[in-house]
Amino acid sequence: MAHQAHSYHMVDPSPWPIFGAASALLTTSGLAMWFHYNSTQLLIMGLTSMLLVMLQWWRDIVRESTFQGHHTLTVQKGLRYGMILFITSEAFFFLGFFWAFFHSSLVPTPELGGQWPPMGVKPLNPLEVPLLNTAILLASGVTVTWAHHSITEGNRKQAIHALTLTILLGFYFTALQATEYYEAPFSIADSVYGSTFFVATGFHGLHVIIGSSFLSTCLLRLIKFHFTSNHHFGFEAAAWYWHFVDVIWLFLYMTIYWWGS
Amino acid sequence: MAALGRVSRLLLGAAAATPRSLPGRSMSAAAHEAGGARLWKLLTFVVALPGVGVCMLNCYLKAQHKHERPEFVPYAHLRIRTKPFPWGDGNKTLFHNPHVNALPTGYED
Repeated sequence: MAHQAHSYHMVDPSPWPIFGAASALLTTSGLAMWFHYNSTQLLIMGLTSMLLVMLQWWRDIVRESTFQGHHTLTVQKGLRYGMILFITSEAFFFLGFFWAFFHSSLVPTPELGGQWPPMGVKPLNPLEVPLLNTAILLASGVTVTWAHHSITEGNRKQAIHALTLTILLGFYFTALQATEYYEAPFSIADSVYGSTFFVATGFHGLHVIIGSSFLSTCLLRLIKFHFTSNHHFGFEAAAWYWHFVDVIWLFLYMTIYWWGS
Repeated sequence: MAALGRVSRLLLGAAAATPRSLPGRSMSAAAHEAGGARLWKLLTFVVALPGVGVCMLNCYLKAQHKHERPEFVPYAHLRIRTKPFPWGDGNKTLFHNPHVNALPTGYED
């Protein structure tokens, strides 16, 4: 039987990276086809293939780690670096949209009436649903921490309860934001106010949905006994991502919702 | 800055079996690591969820009144239509609500 003289994971050849790249190409060109030529075929192919690649690639990682034991401490350390770098790159992504918001709101142009919010734009009251959403995300940060400690202490029942509560809070946030989007008296087409508001909060909402999906997968794995009390990096990565989503919301709330109203 | 310390502690602490604090929370020096889950469970039911409840009540009370809709003024910087939207008749935004969102020509209803 062959043995490796190092603690790294030499991954078996996999089709997912190139299929993932292909799905990215299909999706982006599909968006262009939809916007300019009123055709959704390519886009649907792109999104479908993207979903399939994600499911199968991550399924393979669970197989390699939980079932085949390839995730040594060294491998885990690399994954930690990776997740941190990824989250950092996402922070920079949002930084751009915050920059755009401040660019337009600190020096409102004459076309907007020289004021912020612009003339004719009635902003949402930050002390109503946005405040509730803040409480929800902060609460979910507490529950996910409870879940983590429960996992570390080997308390299965509490871990499941706490993680489920976290996910439910995430869904509640998403549902509330969706109704806010529908009830808002301003739209994305309402000057640069609408653009900055909906693009920033919209991408945030997408990240909440991604984070909720990540946490849901962790719940499924938790129930299926994948995690041990000292090896559960998938859960930790999901928790880090969730805290990141919470922090971005706090910045959104303080700047766009509160200062910007 | 504190986040950097927490992050490197998290990274280096990968081998340790001891429970770790996640970013955003600092445990008091007196709290035992073994009781970590109990503390966060307590915080969940005594602070976090009641906080959500209070905000829910606040929203419900505030929503009881107020239904006035601002009158339509055809400002040039609002309801911009540089290009039709790629759905429907191309004139309505994705979350269009006829009751509160006017079209470039005015409210629909």
